[in-house]
Order: sequence, then C-alpha cells, then structure tokens
Amino acid sequence: MFGKLFKKAKNKVIVLGIDGVPYSLLVRFINEGIMPNLSGIVKNGTFSAMTASIPEVSSTSWSTFMTGVNPGKHGIYGFMELQKDSYKWYFPNSSDIKSETLWDIAGKNNRKSIVLNLPSTYPARQLNGILTAGFVALDLRKATYPESAYEYLKGIDYRMDVDTQKAKESSSALSEDIDRAFAIRRKAILHFLDSHEWDLFIGVITETDRLHHYLWNALEDKSHSEHNFFVDFYKRLDSFIGEMYKRAGDDIPFIIVSDHGFTTIKKEVYLNWWLREKGYLQFKKDPPESFEDMLGDSKVFALDPARFYIHLKDKYQQGCVEGREYEAMRQRLKEDLVLLEVDGEKVVKSVFLKEELYSGGYYNDAPDLLALPYPGYDLKGAVNKTSLTGRGFLTGGHTRDNAVFFINRNIKEKDINIVDVGPTIISLLGVEHKNFDGRCLV
Amino acid sequence: MTLEEKERLMSLSIEEKVAQSKKVIKEAIEKFGTEKLAIAWTGGKDSTTMTWLFKEACKELKAPMPKCMFIDEGDVFDEIWDVVNLLKKEWNLNERNRAEITNLGFDGKEFPLEPESYVGNHLMKTVAMNDFLENHGIQSLSTAIRWDEQTARKEETYFSPRSNPPHTRIQPILHFKERDIWNAIHKYKIPFCALYKSGYRSLGARCTTFKNSDIPAWEQDMENTTERAGRGQGKEEIMGKLRDLGYM
Repeated sequence: MFGKLFKKAKNKVIVLGIDGVPYSLLVRFINEGIMPNLSGIVKNGTFSAMTASIPEVSSTSWSTFMTGVNPGKHGIYGFMELQKDSYKWYFPNSSDIKSETLWDIAGKNNRKSIVLNLPSTYPARQLNGILTAGFVALDLRKATYPESAYEYLKGIDYRMDVDTQKAKESSSALSEDIDRAFAIRRKAILHFLDSHEWDLFIGVITETDRLHHYLWNALEDKSHSEHNFFVDFYKRLDSFIGEMYKRAGDDIPFIIVSDHGFTTIKKEVYLNWWLREKGYLQFKKDPPESFEDMLGDSKVFALDPARFYIHLKDKYQQGCVEGREYEAMRQRLKEDLVLLEVDGEKVVKSVFLKEELYSGGYYNDAPDLLALPYPGYDLKGAVNKTSLTGRGFLTGGHTRDNAVFFINRNIKEKDINIVDVGPTIISLLGVEHKNFDGRCLV
Repeated sequence: MTLEEKERLMSLSIEEKVAQSKKVIKEAIEKFGTEKLAIAWTGGKDSTTMTWLFKEACKELKAPMPKCMFIDEGDVFDEIWDVVNLLKKEWNLNERNRAEITNLGFDGKEFPLEPESYVGNHLMKTVAMNDFLENHGIQSLSTAIRWDEQTARKEETYFSPRSNPPHTRIQPILHFKERDIWNAIHKYKIPFCALYKSGYRSLGARCTTFKNSDIPAWEQDMENTTERAGRGQGKEEIMGKLRDLGYM
C-alpha cells in the first residue's frame, strides 16, 4: 500500500520528534525490554546522547532544530521576552523566527514538507506542504496550513495539546488525557504520512514532555498510582516508533530527536528573589506582580529559565546601568552565581556570557548571562516569589545534556548538538544550503 | 437573501461587484441622506475601498460625501496614520478623532489596555462609536465587513437595523472576497496602507497585530490561509499555558 508514495526513497527524510525524552531513559527501557521496536531499530545506525540549546527550553531548542542556526540568528531565546519600553510581556511566535526554516529551504527547491505539532510554529505560515503547529498554539485554524488540512484535523477532533488543567483534578485524569492526546496525534501523523506526498516529514510527540513534567516521580516510585501508566505509555510510544519506521525502512533516512533531557526536580530556585537578596533588583510592591513593578534603579533581572539581563540605560526605558559598568556588572554577577548554594550544595554548574554562546543579527536581544544548574535544581524566573527555593507542582525539569539523537545511518561525528540536525536533514534531501551554524553529520 | 443569491453575488466580476456596491450605497443615500449617514473608516484595505466606492457613488449622484468616522483607540500603526492623513487631504474627508477613553467614566480597577481584548474593544471602539452616532444624530453607519471574512458574518445583509443606539448598518461590500479587494485596489489605483506590502493581511491595533508572511498581502495564498491569523496574540491564554508548564 505504501508502494506509490514510498518508491522513491532517495532524498526523502522522516523525522520523529519526541519532546523532552532523555537518551538515558530510552537506553534503560531498551535494556528492560519495554521498547523492543526501538531496540531493533537502533541496532542499524547511530544512537547517541545529544546536547540541546541554551537555554534548554523547547521554544529555543526546536527553533534551533528547525533553522540549523544559533539563537543569535533565529532570535528565539525563550517563551517570553520583556518589552524594553513598557516592561510588559511579549510572547515570540512563528513570525519572530528570523531565519529560514528547513521547510522554507526545502520549499525553495520544490520539495514538499509536512510538519506536524512542532513547537514554536504558531501561527502557521504558508509553505510548500502542510503544517499544523505545536505548543504554544491557541487556535487550530490559525495553527494549520492549508485549509484542507484544517478541515481534516477538525474532522477527527484533533487535539493541539494535553489539557494540563486535568492535573488539578487527579493524576489519573491527567494520564487519561495524555493518552487521548497521544492517540489522536498518532492518528494524524500516520494519516499525513500515508496519504500525502512529501519529501521531508516531521512529526513531533509532545505528550512525553507533559508526562515527564507532571509524573516524572512516577517512574522510579513503583507504588505511585501512575507508575504503570508511565511504563505503558513508553510501550505505546515504542509501537508507534515501529509503525513509523516500517514506512521508512532502511532506505529512507529516519531521524529521532528530542529537544532536551529530563531530571528529577529537588528544588526550584527563584532567581529574581536571589537577585533581590543580593541587591541587584528592587520592586515597588511586595510581592511584585510583574516586571512593570520593577524599580528603575534595578541592575539585573532574570527571565525563565535562567536568562539574566543587565538593566542597561541605553537599552531599557528606565535602565540605570551605564555602558561602562556593563563588564564589571556581569563579572560580579557571574562570581555571585557560582557561589549560590542551597542546603549547603552548589546550585549553578556553569555560567555563560552571551558572546560565548551566540552570534548573528539578533545578538543584541540575547540575555547578557546564562546559567545551567546542577541536576535537581530548577532555575526559575518567576517574579512573585518571596523565598529562594520552593516546590512547584512539577516533578520533572529540563536538562541541556542527555537529549537524544538517532539516525539509521552510521556517522562518525561526536558531540552532537541540536543545531547539527537541520543541516543533516537538508543535506539528506539533496539540497545545497550555506549559512548553517551546525554541521552535516552524514 | 438566499444562499444561491449570495453565491451569485460573490462570483460576480470586479466591475459588477463595484456596480453592486454602488447600487447599495446609492440606495442608502436616497434613504438616509448624506447628513445622517457616516462611514466607518479604519485605514485598512476594506474600509478604504468602501470609502472610495462612496466617493465614486457621491460623484455620480452629485451628492456631498458623508462624514467618515475614524476611531483612534490609542495604539494605531504609524503607517495607518500615514494613509489616513493622506486621504483626509486628497479626498477631502471629515473625520472625528475619538481618543476619549478617559472621559467615559470607567471606574473598574483595571482592564487589559488592548483594543482587541473584550473590554478594551468595547471601551475603546464601541463606546467611542456610539458616542459619535448619538452626538451627530447619525441614522446609518456604513461598515466594510465581508461575507468571506468569517463564518459568523455569513448571515449579514446589505441593510441591517441595530438598536442601542438605534441606527441602520449599511454593508455595501459584503460580496467582495479578500482577493476582490486587492483586485479592485490595483485596478482602480486605490491608495492602501504600506503595511500590507510588508506582509500584513489584516490590520488591528499595533500591539496585537503581526505579519502573516514576508510577502505582500496580495501575493499570499489567500484561499488557504487565514486573513486574521496575525491579529490578537491571546496573551492571557498563552500565559496560562506557560504557567501550567512551570514558567512565569
């Protein structure tokens, strides 16, 4: 049945995105016999841990994946930004991605792409092919191009995301909803894979990330009511991977990629409270409601997850830090961050200056300093916290290391980063493109 | 009007569509006169085309141009001001700049100061419009909605009575599709806001309107994409979703 659509295996690529899935978890489930399909598939190819973007959030990491360039070029540093004049929130969306996407590049070369549920593609922009956007997507019609794809998705009661509000009801209500969302995602992905023409196919499962955020503790705790659900979910994911791979075979390049790893949260660490304690940041109100309550003589503030911004006079409406003070301010902040301790343990594993990570036309918008934590500490940019640490409702948090990369080809390259995946895909499509920051791995 | 009749009107040629709109406009002017009629003009492509149709119809009737109502909700694109100021002069239009949200006596604690939020839209646009209708004894207001814009507009008719305040809505370009608007603009050389050239398809308030693409509006795939996709960011909803995943 797949003969017609799949006969020309050359220059086609299938990508399965699995949001927030750690490499080590897949290795463990393979060893425990929970993922037999994946176990068979990874024998023929390269299966490896991969580093994600910094910051290690889906919007930045997937934007890096879909453009093959660093955030200094594509411009997406996180899920939210502060407006420099009003200090109001701004939420970057697909129209803020400043670099060409893989499907833009493919489209220019008359190649068709199908892109399903990839985060940070909302609202859908016109392309040569089909796209329905992933997180944060608000309206299915705006999320989908073209209209005919919207009609199909509407017809099957497609879900754009898990209803995470269910977590407030009960763990089981959430897990049932994760299951429902995954089932409809699987149906939609297989439908488009089988019944439409494409050269590049990208389908992303985001239910994994929701499962991990809310129920990560259920993995190790066998007495947890959702422990079996967690394991069963991975069995279902495995059978889905098997179904997709059947369509690729050994001929069509098949890539599995995640956008970050996951780990257990011991404590959340509230960076803006820490900045207040250290005298870097002041608010008019206590507790503050937003950055609109920030006082003008504040020197530094932090946005999720650990992006630090120097409140520069030339950059912000009420900024107070002079250009000549900038370097000293960053050094002082870096030294203070390295010393940050919770319960006698160091929290910050590494601190980066913006120039160590980013370059490009949107370099000026980059955070001035970024931090990565030791496993277990979830660095948070919440404004309204009045203590250094706390526990939220999430049990799992992101890691930059330990994301996953698989391709059914043998590759020699080591130290794979998510920025390398896009150039690899474009090269496998047989399309020439310069200006990538990543390397082609094949 | 039957569905068949609507479909017939929507499939007319541009010349026939222009003639049909002029017929509706002339009927409205005969019924209400030009003194008691106003044109709701936003500076966008649809209402500018409608205003041009009024100008042409009035020329043929040798009647004066009705008043144009332009609402400044406080967050208007500079490029919109450019086209509004140009046409005010070139077409000799009257306009009322109604930036008077502060005079409305709204005493709630706070509301999102976004002209496209529910409360914001009411206070910044509807109240300003009603104030204008009442103060000037306007009996009919011409607006540039189109049947193809959204499903909710499919039931609209050329003349539609409204209460609070009582007036008649005249909707003379219902049968134009988005593509017809661009065909008319190019054929009749109707001026348009520069933002459309840079990829905007539909213009709302500056803070909540985004480009749909980087190519001009009239070159985009109008049949398969949503005209209003760039309107309204849904900030509250986005924040809710981000909070659920531990952000903010």
